[in-house]
Amino acid sequence: MRFWDHQLSARSETRRLLLAFALAVAVLVAAVHGALVVAWLLMVAVLPVHLPFPAGFLAVNVGVSLMLVLGGWWVETSNLRAGGVKLAQRIGAREARPSVSHAEQRLCNIVHELCIAAHMPQPQVMVLPRTDAINAFAAGWDASDAVVAVTQGALDHLTREELQGMVAHELSHLHEGDTRLKMRLAGMVFGLELVYNFGDEVRERRGLAWLFGSAIMLAGFAGWLAGRMLKAAVSRQREYLADARAVQWTRSRDGLGGVLRKVMAQRRDTPAGYERVTHQGLAHPAVQHMLLVDLPGAGAMERWLDSHPTLAERVQRIYGRSMQPLPLTPVNEPPEAARRAGTVAPGAVTLASLVDPFARL
Amino acid sequence: MSATAWIVLAVIAALVVWAIAVYNRLVQLRNRIANAFGQIDVQLKRRYDLVPNLVEVARGYLSHEAATLEAVIKARGQAQGAAAAARAAPTSAGAMGALAVAEQALGGSLGRLMVVAESYPELKADATMQSLSEELTSTENRLGFARQAYNDQVLDFNDQAAQFPAIVVARLLGFPTAPMLEATRSDEERAAPRVQF
Repeated sequence: MRFWDHQLSARSETRRLLLAFALAVAVLVAAVHGALVVAWLLMVAVLPVHLPFPAGFLAVNVGVSLMLVLGGWWVETSNLRAGGVKLAQRIGAREARPSVSHAEQRLCNIVHELCIAAHMPQPQVMVLPRTDAINAFAAGWDASDAVVAVTQGALDHLTREELQGMVAHELSHLHEGDTRLKMRLAGMVFGLELVYNFGDEVRERRGLAWLFGSAIMLAGFAGWLAGRMLKAAVSRQREYLADARAVQWTRSRDGLGGVLRKVMAQRRDTPAGYERVTHQGLAHPAVQHMLLVDLPGAGAMERWLDSHPTLAERVQRIYGRSMQPLPLTPVNEPPEAARRAGTVAPGAVTLASLVDPFARL
Repeated sequence: MSATAWIVLAVIAALVVWAIAVYNRLVQLRNRIANAFGQIDVQLKRRYDLVPNLVEVARGYLSHEAATLEAVIKARGQAQGAAAAARAAPTSAGAMGALAVAEQALGGSLGRLMVVAESYPELKADATMQSLSEELTSTENRLGFARQAYNDQVLDFNDQAAQFPAIVVARLLGFPTAPMLEATRSDEERAAPRVQF
């Protein structure tokens, strides 16, 4: 994989999309005004009375729609701003326990290793204990409340190298500020949605208001749809960027590549349907866009509104050709210590205290 | 003063401001290299701290492998000494070379210990041993990543210092290109090992 090139292209693609996003907002504001002018002209044509064109029509229209978009953006962004750790706890993640479980000791070590490779402060490490699906997510507004959470399924099925690839992908999202970027975009889309809702409300008053309301609604809907599509496109580029980062930091294709191929196998081999694998907590809308792989089950329009590229496309980029799914077998370096919790007597000298001088403090 | 004089003065001032900016950037990047090197040192220390614990646990199971264990302890002592010497004289090529050799010896003896441990199922199953070998694996990875990060910093610095027009400032103010760390140092090390039966 030529990871430097892939990173460059993902970055410039993101910039282009963000520009398009700003343009979409400007077009929406213009469209609201245009639609209202058309509605006004229609009204004047239909009504027998002669009315002068309202003074300050443009300023009011632009002002109101901008206020809705930016206000909605601000409100939603401050809603999403709750810390990463809090968010992770809300969906059922708990802190990793390196002194009790071998698998979690390995996970904490891997996060530490990759933070050295990535030159970044260490995020909180968490585990989603009741989730069998192989997955992970990162969250947090800034370094102080950044968190990386990994599912039990990933701990059970991934080798050390694959876990490294997975963690590296999530660290890239934190390192590149994707959490913030995606929260801002989500806020913006919410603002665009507000314009649509406002139109809907105006329309309910019947009569002439119906005409104006419909005009606003139409413009709002177009803006909202464009916003969602652009947001999803940005998100897909950030996934490619994170994949390329993971390969750069681990200097291995088989790490992340193996994870994606095992997810393919998990989806294919689950007899009762992949939906039956527990995805507990992962369906929360606030973490959806920060997952390693997205959840299955999108309907029509999925290609345009998906936050992640398909597994096949990502594997294709990583290896330069398509690859078969990897069979899912419990890893050779068994995580049984996780199951046998309690092997360490309370008060015993744990390994962490032998190795890490700060653990004893 | 004439307009020309003003223009000349403005150009000179702009050049000076630009040179200061370039200089500060280069100093920042050079400090990051030093920091990245410090990281490697931290990980070496972690490895030295880990070895006695590993040997202690292994000793209980490997009573017939005293020679292997002694070799590890000895290599650890030498590497620690070499690291202290290198820290005292970071610019000395000799000290750095000695550290590289001692590190290689420690890595080799640890590798032999791990191979021996493979044939003792009880030792392999020991929970503390499992944890310790995980820590050892992690430390080796951290060392590798710290070296990689160091090289990435060097690449960054060399890129900045060697591009035109920044190279003018770099040359005038004496910023030499920084060397990359290499896994192997001598031609003998790079040669493929010969296997004889």
